[in-house]
Amino acid sequence: MKEVIAIIRPNTVSKTVKALDVVGFPAVTMAECFGRGKQKGYFSANLPEIVDIQKIIEEGEKEGRFIKYIPKRLISIVVDDADVPLVVGIISKVNRTGSFGDGRIFVLPVEEAIRVRTGETGEIAIGN
Amino acid sequence: MKMIKAIVRPDKVDDIVDSLENAGYPAFTKINSVGRGKQGGLKVGEIFYDELPKTILLIAVNDDEVDEVVGLIKSSASTGNFGDGKIFIQPITEAYTIRTGETGI
Repeated sequence: MKEVIAIIRPNTVSKTVKALDVVGFPAVTMAECFGRGKQKGYFSANLPEIVDIQKIIEEGEKEGRFIKYIPKRLISIVVDDADVPLVVGIISKVNRTGSFGDGRIFVLPVEEAIRVRTGETGEIAIGN
Repeated sequence: MKMIKAIVRPDKVDDIVDSLENAGYPAFTKINSVGRGKQGGLKVGEIFYDELPKTILLIAVNDDEVDEVVGLIKSSASTGNFGDGKIFIQPITEAYTIRTGETGI
């Protein structure tokens, strides 16, 4: 089993969850969070024309465009090993705008899953 | 790659983020949460607090950068009192940038 953690824009959460639901992954955990990437929270008014990170940081510093903690949403979904590429593909496709700040997806191993209601363990616990 | 999950005091987050940025690790995710440690919370007079406000910092780094980042978090989050928090390290098998679809951090 793998846990897919996606940190995405707040306004694409409902679209992402709907798309996952359609292909058979209705169970998700979501959390409000804040974060930033390698642009250090600086942003450019000319996005997405500027694709050079150093330029964005320079322009942002000059014009004072800076957000230290950018609002994001964290989606966590536990799936079988075989379903990881599908889930990653759907999340990427729905969230890709081409601008900085689209987010990141991490895949972490999960050793055990237990359904509290019945006590089932393993892959049965994360199935439908 | 490793995911460093640090549960720290909310008022130390700014210090940690600044020290990580100066060392060349600008990217992170921050989640506000509540929790308690093995002291089972905090008792002030008659009032018992078992949901103490904490902040979770998620930082994804390469394997050889783990020690440096953990050292920076430890030094800037520490006050020497109970409640400074914990740091957990988990493996990451894959990482993707959504904008480009590239793998890796």
